[in-house]
Amino acid sequence: MKIDDLEKMESEDVSSLSSVERRNFLKIGFAVTGMYLGGSVLSLVSVKNAHGASASGVVPELGKYPYNPHYSMVLREKLCIDCERCKDACVKTNNVPSYGFRTTILEKRHSLGEDKYETIFVPVLCNHCNRPPCVRVCPTTATWKDEKTGIVVMEPSRCIGCKTCMAACPYNARYFKEEARTVDKCDFCFQSRLSKGVMTPACVEACPADVRVFGNLADPASRVSQLVHSPETMVWVLRPETGAIPNVFYINS
Amino acid sequence: MKKLLMLMVLGVFLLTGALLWASGDGQEQEEYDEDTYGPKDPIIWVKPVKSVVFEHKVHTMQGGLECDSCHDDLFEMEAGVAEENEDFTMKTLYEGGYCGACHDGSTAFASNTRCTACHIGARGQARLLGADGATEKTH
Repeated sequence: MKIDDLEKMESEDVSSLSSVERRNFLKIGFAVTGMYLGGSVLSLVSVKNAHGASASGVVPELGKYPYNPHYSMVLREKLCIDCERCKDACVKTNNVPSYGFRTTILEKRHSLGEDKYETIFVPVLCNHCNRPPCVRVCPTTATWKDEKTGIVVMEPSRCIGCKTCMAACPYNARYFKEEARTVDKCDFCFQSRLSKGVMTPACVEACPADVRVFGNLADPASRVSQLVHSPETMVWVLRPETGAIPNVFYINS
Repeated sequence: MKKLLMLMVLGVFLLTGALLWASGDGQEQEEYDEDTYGPKDPIIWVKPVKSVVFEHKVHTMQGGLECDSCHDDLFEMEAGVAEENEDFTMKTLYEGGYCGACHDGSTAFASNTRCTACHIGARGQARLLGADGATEKTH
């Protein structure tokens, strides 16, 4: 083709594109992006299997607990006075070294002005999550969720001490036990007490203020179930945004 | 004329200084007197549970109580005596013993409310005692 003929032909660059054509192209682009956004970022589709982390709150509905017994703990937060009898009992019962803890007490302090403070003590322990991040990251399956009780248990002989679970835990509920070169954590006293027929963890028994209530959430007659399912009670969990669906609940009544 | 202005400015400065000095003096007059108000340091009970605080200052200087409001009827003057008693418990307080004589909900806030106002806990005690007590808490 000669150059003169070429110059006579219609240009194919973007300047000759009609605006309708351009719009149509953009529409396809937006539609594709929208599909992805709607699916993953905005989550317009409801997640039906995720009991507990739904919009209805942090407490699953009665009858929808994955385990039975579904062990959980309710902490009546404002009654805690940080006497640390729970910690002492735990240390004795589970051979916890001085530098570690299976349960501890945190402190919230907010100013009321003029040198006055209100103090709230927050007892914390392993939340025995329904979707435990620690279990998911363990490379040697040394920690898992017990199929019967829902307790997040450890098998020290399988643990290689890589501490990945410690980094994954949203509740700082695991520590590295130097003596054993493995990670150690709360198991609701499963090894030391529950498996031997004592039906309360040591910390629950030691608490003088009845802060810690332990029991089977799947049993509607249990105290834990009644506490979290009573009307006008505000129930909250720590760090719900992680999606771990914890089984340790906090109330103030 | 300029000298007069300078003198006036200097005068104002001096006057303000004097006023500030006087107001500072006023605050110092309210200094805590242990003979009138009782021991200055807070009392920390660790029995039957860790750790409960009592401050004479809050009750005498700020609350207006006299020594004989509590001594030796509710509490022995000697430190640490109440702590050794078997009945130094919340139950006794609810029945009007010890702190419960006033902390009944009408004279002062009831003993079964505002737990952490007095129960400062192991963490509160460490804070009161300063750095040496607080260092053991790191994990």
